[in-house]
Amino acid sequence: MPIPFESFIPFAVIAGMFVVTGTGIRYAQTKRNEGKAVRYSLDDWDRKMMVRDKQLTGTFRGQVDNPIAPPEFKVNSSWKVYESLRNDFA
Amino acid sequence: MVNPGYKNFKGEDWVDPTPPPSHLPHVDEVGSTGAPLKSASFFIGSVCKEYNEDFMLCKSESRDPKHCLLEGRKVTRCAIDVLQKIESNCLEEFRAHWHCLDGKNQEFGRCREPEKTYNACLFKALGWKKTIPGAPTNKPEIHERIPLTK
Repeated sequence: MPIPFESFIPFAVIAGMFVVTGTGIRYAQTKRNEGKAVRYSLDDWDRKMMVRDKQLTGTFRGQVDNPIAPPEFKVNSSWKVYESLRNDFA
Repeated sequence: MVNPGYKNFKGEDWVDPTPPPSHLPHVDEVGSTGAPLKSASFFIGSVCKEYNEDFMLCKSESRDPKHCLLEGRKVTRCAIDVLQKIESNCLEEFRAHWHCLDGKNQEFGRCREPEKTYNACLFKALGWKKTIPGAPTNKPEIHERIPLTK
C-alpha cells in the first residue's frame, strides 16, 4: 500500500512554522531598521556614531549628507535629558 | 535635525544653559551622518592629514577638552571643506556610494562598483586618489584588485 498523503501533513505544518518564524523575524527587523538590513558586528565607534545619527535625523538608521550641521545641533540640550532613554542604543 | 521635547516644552526651547564662552571663535559642526562620512573617510584622511595628526598629538598630551580646542576647530573646518568639495563635484557618485554602504553594514568590500566610479570621478575632478596608509606598495591595493569572480 503506498504511503498515505495524510502522513505528510505534519511535515508540511512543521515546515510552515519555520516559514512563519522566518518571515516574522525578517518583518520585525526590517521595520526596526527602516527597510535596511540589520547592522551587525557593531563596536563602540559604530554605536556612538548611530547615536549621533539619531541626534541629526531622529532615527538610528537615518542618513543625511549636509556638510554643515543645522545650528540647533550645537546648542540643543534636550538630548541630555533622560539621556539613557533617548540615546541608548537599542 | 530633530528637536525632541515634551508637549508643553517643545524641543526648540531646549537650549544649552551653559554654552561655551563667547571668546572662543565660532565653528560649524559637521552635519553628515555615518555613511557619508565613511564614504569620504579616506579623502578626509589624506587631505586633512596634518590637522588630524596635530589633533591626535595634542590629545596625547592631555585629555582635558580645553587643551585641544584650537586643533579641534581646524579638524572640523577641514572635514567640512572636504565634504563641500566632494558634494560640489561628484554628488551623484557620492550619494550612490554611501547609499550602497548604508545597506551593506558600511563595509567597503561589499560596495566596490559604486566605489570605482566614485574614485574615478573624484580623481578627474580634484586629483584625489584613495590610498590606504600603510599598505604594501609592491601589490595592487585591495580596492584596485580585480575580483576573482566576474
